[in-house]
Amino acid sequence: MKSKNLLALSVLVPGLMISGIITAAGGAGGAEGKAELEKALTLKPDVENGMDIYEVCAGCHLLEGWGTADGNYPQLAGQLAGVTIKQMADIRGGNRDNPTMYPFTLDRAIGGGPQGLADVAGYIATLKMIPENGVGKGEPGSEEYKHGEKLYKENCTDCHGAKGEGHKEKNYPRIAGQHYKYMVRQFEMIRDGKRRNANEDMVKQIKGFSEKDMQAVINYTSRLPVPAKDKAPSMDYKNPDYD
Amino acid sequence: MKKVILITCAAIMWFSTSANVMAADGAALYKTKSCVACHGKDGKKGMLETYPSINGQSAAYAIQQMKDIKSGARNNADSAAMKGVMNMVNDEEIKAIAEWLETIK
Repeated sequence: MKSKNLLALSVLVPGLMISGIITAAGGAGGAEGKAELEKALTLKPDVENGMDIYEVCAGCHLLEGWGTADGNYPQLAGQLAGVTIKQMADIRGGNRDNPTMYPFTLDRAIGGGPQGLADVAGYIATLKMIPENGVGKGEPGSEEYKHGEKLYKENCTDCHGAKGEGHKEKNYPRIAGQHYKYMVRQFEMIRDGKRRNANEDMVKQIKGFSEKDMQAVINYTSRLPVPAKDKAPSMDYKNPDYD
Repeated sequence: MKKVILITCAAIMWFSTSANVMAADGAALYKTKSCVACHGKDGKKGMLETYPSINGQSAAYAIQQMKDIKSGARNNADSAAMKGVMNMVNDEEIKAIAEWLETIK
């Protein structure tokens, strides 16, 4: 695999210089975005090309795809490819508002249209996950943990799975191993109707959740174990594709 | 007297440490706080034409803009993209990044 230089970054990818205004049109528009999403989901990823594309993403999500425990950037590593494709297509298609991410989802940053989305998402799915993700305060055995576990089992398992593994066919995200603070932020946005591509059933499902319920269920989620085969061996691990 | 000397020593140590942190960390913070993703290597190339290059900019000006974007006092154009990440930096880090950028020609 080619040697990589993080400093040379994304920003130098040819074709990025075309002007664009984030806040204006909001991308291709809902319908077009949906059509692109449908197409991208059917494509076979070229993981090698996805690795090249991923350098752009690494500027924020890091070469390991681990994101940041402060909740600004989610862990991408190990995410189901369809989920990643959906979020990128939704952001660039104007179906999810994310001004920080938006320019990086554009075709001039990723390239290859729907195939580019499939490639980079395919690569991301192969990345080893962070061994110690950001978690909530409630240790196993605590009241908060038990309350969260109950809520999780009652509300979340049908879509996100008993182990937080997500749902491949329906493109429901894997949430085990995700940073606590990131999940809190998304949960609040979904609850408050600010995440426009949120699943409507989830919006309804969490309507009655108090602040305490929310923290408890996400605390439990953040502590769901990730299978050892999907995890990096230690926090010192570096993505070997970029040496 | 002893007390005064102790306090003076402590103050000197504190000042020199925080000054070192700034000098050393501006460049590192620029990358780890994700500035580099949008403003390019050494702040020399915005990833969109509407994103400014920020190298060589007066630190005092950059500090003020960063604080205003963080607080929401400045919210024009694409500053929404930057506001989303400004909670990652505190005042000291803002200063360190701005002072480092000012030195990049």
